[in-house]
Amino acid sequence: MKNLVNIKGTKQGLVLQLDDQCSYADLLAELQAKVSDPALDGSAEVQLQLGNRYCTEAQIKEIIALIQKNEHLRVSRVRSDVITVEESNRRIQERQSETYVGIVRSGQVVKAEGDLVVVGDVNPNGRVAAGGNIYVLGRLKGIAHAGTNGNREAVIAASWLEATHLQIDDELEIMTDELTVLSEQPEMECAYLHKNGSIIIDRLQELRFLRPEISTFKGGS
Amino acid sequence: MGEAIVITSGKGGVGKTTTTANLGTALALQGKKVCLIDTDIGLRNLDVILGLENRIIYDLIDVLEGRCKVHQALVKDKRFDDMLYLLPAAQTADKNDVNPEQMRELVTELKKDYDFVIIDCPAGIEQGYKNAVAGADKAIVVTTPEISAVRDADRIIGLLEMEENIEPPKLIINRIRQHLMNAGEALDVNEITTHLSIDLLGIVADDESVITSSNRGEPVVMNPDNPAALGYRNIARRILGESVPLMTMDKKSQGVFSKIKAIFAK
Repeated sequence: MKNLVNIKGTKQGLVLQLDDQCSYADLLAELQAKVSDPALDGSAEVQLQLGNRYCTEAQIKEIIALIQKNEHLRVSRVRSDVITVEESNRRIQERQSETYVGIVRSGQVVKAEGDLVVVGDVNPNGRVAAGGNIYVLGRLKGIAHAGTNGNREAVIAASWLEATHLQIDDELEIMTDELTVLSEQPEMECAYLHKNGSIIIDRLQELRFLRPEISTFKGGS
Repeated sequence: MGEAIVITSGKGGVGKTTTTANLGTALALQGKKVCLIDTDIGLRNLDVILGLENRIIYDLIDVLEGRCKVHQALVKDKRFDDMLYLLPAAQTADKNDVNPEQMRELVTELKKDYDFVIIDCPAGIEQGYKNAVAGADKAIVVTTPEISAVRDADRIIGLLEMEENIEPPKLIINRIRQHLMNAGEALDVNEITTHLSIDLLGIVADDESVITSSNRGEPVVMNPDNPAALGYRNIARRILGESVPLMTMDKKSQGVFSKIKAIFAK
């Protein structure tokens, strides 16, 4: 019979390669037998490789629980070569940029999974939110929330940055008059999250040094 | 087939009812057949400003609930030979006694007989607002040079832009006090229009005679010499498609003497 669970020893610990063709029940049975083998006595970190098998969250938990019944083993990483269509779509969406043309007026909310480009003003009490970055081609005078899914690298850039509230991930900055005075020239500015956890406003020109990864343009002369 | 225009603002007390009364009167003076509808059920005012309070027999609710025919409820303003009519709001019901579908039917019915159906919207964005905009083809947003009024106007414009059957709203800036704008103490006309980014239909000066004439039941627009009246008349002419330049409001050069002085000062 073919080996359904391959165990390899590496410098980082054990790598468990699980067969991706057999039935899930057979796999569990063999896994159970392999990990309860008394020969595995040294404590080790385990990397799980699922190959082309799609496992639900619950199944992954079940597998991990099974392995960790052997108190010497600890699963540090799970790798799979497949994801669901929904997951894939979500990832694509997160990378896409959505464009809203028009004015975001008081009481209106414009949300995007990935980056958001607003061509128009964001008026006071209007809210724009994005999983990625927010770019406003106009006056940002309302509320902007970038990196809603926990992306702390997200930035907010605007032709005129005079927002009442800026939020990146879960860090909220209320733009008091003092801050407006500090920024003096609200034209062509960007806001980003500094490593110390506070939101900093800087000139738009600095963005290419602060977040070089935003620029995806390759080549050119 | 006439057109239905809703006059709205979001915020209360900026002059929706006064604007409705004056625009209606101005359009009637221009020879158009006008019907005004007061949709502020429970807090009706339009009849008072027009001086028609004593002549009300039936109201909007009576019409919608079939207790009378539309023409029985319409109050004719005798000053403008058959040109201006008012459909008053009920005072004993409230806004939830009407639904948008009923209003749409009523306004469509009235548009057959009138050149203009002007709907006075109550303050707020709830049921009363929804009823008022239901039958409208066009919308006019009234605001004043106060930040709170401009905020609410922004909100209401956002809501109006989502209504599929209404053309993009136009703006009236009411109660302008030129000396405050000049001193930078109040938002100026340009700031407000840039902020709201919709077409400006006209501006109206703040004038005490608006209050006194409302108290007498005579819309101020009937007095052609008044600066506020001029604002309303200009707006009415723009609604009729004329192009009228925006008036300037320099109080200083009003007297003959100061006009002459101004010429020499050049």
